[in-house]
Amino acid sequence: MEMLVMGLCFTFVGLAITALAFAAATRPQGPPLKAQPEQPVIKPAPARFFSEGIIPSIPVPIQVPIEVLLKQIEDHVRLEQAAAESFVAFPNQALLHSKTTSPFVN
Amino acid sequence: MAHELLNGLSPAEADQVLALGSRRAVSSGSSLFRLGDAAECLFLIERGRIRLSFPMLVRGKEEEVFFEEKAPGETVGWSAMVPPYRFTLSAMAPLDAAVIALPREALLAFFDRAPETGRRIAFNLAILVGKRLQLVQAMWMREIQRAVESRSVNPAATR
Repeated sequence: MEMLVMGLCFTFVGLAITALAFAAATRPQGPPLKAQPEQPVIKPAPARFFSEGIIPSIPVPIQVPIEVLLKQIEDHVRLEQAAAESFVAFPNQALLHSKTTSPFVN
Repeated sequence: MAHELLNGLSPAEADQVLALGSRRAVSSGSSLFRLGDAAECLFLIERGRIRLSFPMLVRGKEEEVFFEEKAPGETVGWSAMVPPYRFTLSAMAPLDAAVIALPREALLAFFDRAPETGRRIAFNLAILVGKRLQLVQAMWMREIQRAVESRSVNPAATR
């Protein structure tokens, strides 16, 4: 008798578990999710490591000392004055537009 | 010493004019006048040299840039005779120099007393100013020509 009751209990428990599993499997799905905008594909930035051996080509400006620059300006002014004096002494188009050796105009 | 401002004057007249002024020593490296200063005197150079310059921004810093150098016998500071009586350049002595400073008021009073001498000095002054004008005009024309040439070579510069 006891064996029979225990068998019935196991049977009910097994049926209950089966019913719950079936209900979970057949439950209707919720509202569909809104369509998400397509995410842009982000490409990983190219690695810049020393191992790649890429040397950035940044031009390095060559700066002469300020005294040298001022001397160059002075030489330019002297040359331009000499050219202008030549023009004033004998005005003509060729002398007006004659080139000097100044690095500022060459 | 023959001064360009006193050309055509007799020695006695020149002495009278020079007597209006005072001798001023300008030690090496020191300033005679600065751009923008009130111009009360013009200066006849007796000894040394006077260097004229103007301020320019070079690499973000103000520097005095060479404009012209004057020698004994030459005149600087004629802004003292031209309104608004302000110096338009700066002047300094690159080495020990001496000048005769002629005050404008004394000169004008002398011109009233001696109009013929005054006329000659005014004529000499007109020559100095005219020479400077011609020189700067020629330099300006050359600069404009270069600006036009550089833009015709590089049309992007005109945009």
